[in-house]
Amino acid sequence: MKISFYRRIVQLVVMIGIFMIPLLNILEIYFIKGTFYSIDVGDVAMADPLAVFQSVITSETINTVMLISVIIPLLLAMFFGRVWCSWFCPYHFLVEILQKLRNLLKLKSIKPEYSESLVNRSNRIRLLFLLIGLFITGIAGIPLLNLISAPGIISSQALVLVKFHYFTFEIVFILFLLIMEFFFFYFFWCRLLCPTGIFLSLIDRKKAMKVTKIQPECSMCKSCIKSCPMVINPMNEGNNPLCHNCGICIDSCPDNKKKTHSGLNSIEL
Amino acid sequence: MSLPEDLRDLLNNNPFKGYYKINRLRPPGAVSEKRFMELCIRCARCIEVCPYDSIKRADLYERLQIGTPYVFAEEKACYLCMKCPEVCPTKALDPKVTDKREVKMGKAVIDQELCYNYIYYKEEKKGEVSGKALLCSTCYNACPLMDEAIVMEKFILPVTTEKCVGCGICTEKCPTKPEKAINIIPEGMINKQEAGFFYRKYNIKPAEEMDKKEINKHKKTIERKENISSFGSEPDFEYDFEIQKNIEGWD
Repeated sequence: MKISFYRRIVQLVVMIGIFMIPLLNILEIYFIKGTFYSIDVGDVAMADPLAVFQSVITSETINTVMLISVIIPLLLAMFFGRVWCSWFCPYHFLVEILQKLRNLLKLKSIKPEYSESLVNRSNRIRLLFLLIGLFITGIAGIPLLNLISAPGIISSQALVLVKFHYFTFEIVFILFLLIMEFFFFYFFWCRLLCPTGIFLSLIDRKKAMKVTKIQPECSMCKSCIKSCPMVINPMNEGNNPLCHNCGICIDSCPDNKKKTHSGLNSIEL
Repeated sequence: MSLPEDLRDLLNNNPFKGYYKINRLRPPGAVSEKRFMELCIRCARCIEVCPYDSIKRADLYERLQIGTPYVFAEEKACYLCMKCPEVCPTKALDPKVTDKREVKMGKAVIDQELCYNYIYYKEEKKGEVSGKALLCSTCYNACPLMDEAIVMEKFILPVTTEKCVGCGICTEKCPTKPEKAINIIPEGMINKQEAGFFYRKYNIKPAEEMDKKEINKHKKTIERKENISSFGSEPDFEYDFEIQKNIEGWD
């Protein structure tokens, strides 16, 4: 079975979940509560590491609740890389749908041409953007980057919609991004600017699960490069911070010459 | 104000924090506003667990506080169920606050020129009739800390005390239109000029000054009222007339 199939199922479950959780809470079932800034499943607390990090640097305090809640996301990022972005993030899912829609409408591709310098430039832009963002956050003294955290905004807007039947102004930001993604820039938010994604890729530098080429005889058809949403070369850049282990390259490889290799065990695909 | 003064004000008071408006309250257990803005990650969990839909997500008109939780006392007050402090992931709402008496959201202040009871009292003294006067006492009856947070002076004039937690139920229920006669001034409001209108007219009693005998007297009445249930035995009140036990024709 293709990896994309499982990924779509997970993404759909998440998408339905962000509407179901507030619904359950209205019925006073508090088993799962929260949004993608911070969520509780039973007694297990999870939080966006960047949100907690900002809260720590602005308030200059740290407490056990914060520390415990980032353990699971950090472990996930360390072992599986930036899977949050590709497998769970509702924003990434929406952008993928938009790109599929572009293909269906047979619009001209807006995907930039792959080159090594583009990858390096992207990584520099990302790091710079996060640093500037954190700097401004520090000056302002409030967790400002949460205002542009796409998954958090989408899930909290779903909550507001289900509970109060309206949207707050934050949805305008998401709509603006989606329009930009559809007409002008290919995956620009996930690839270059999303602070949550950048922060996670800082953690996953030595990820245990990464894409590698395992057969030296490769036909060099470059279908993996063509399919990669992050515009990197999956054949030798599996360790690049841009890679979010979505598995599209593995699916698209005609000879299935690559396999996902983890430090713990290797999965044949 | 001149330009340098404006600039000095802007830079010395962080424009991102400490923005107050009357009847805009943080959820119960919130730490001081500056700390709150530092800690709150806008995760909306308090909004999610609130069973009365009291806590709302701030919109653009709250400037940079957009996304943070607010109780809009005029629309829906906080009913002090104390479910939100424990779910906050960054302790912006202090989880140690579990008793409704420990909550400090603000203080209720009464505008004596709008309050029906005050108008009634004044008109009765002067012997005027304006048609506005009314014995309303809604705030006193709606208060969850009855006879502690709002006491009746001269049995007719509602006065807020220092025990007021600022839940805003009185503001929600206050019948005066279009302005409410009772308003909540959020805890820690620095700029009293903004609240000046209310501060000039408010009358908050220090808790020590309250006559303790009077409280005890009321307590007994309240306890007795609380014990009344629609099931079981009849409460025993003393009447100076005979109660009809049976009604003819009824079985």
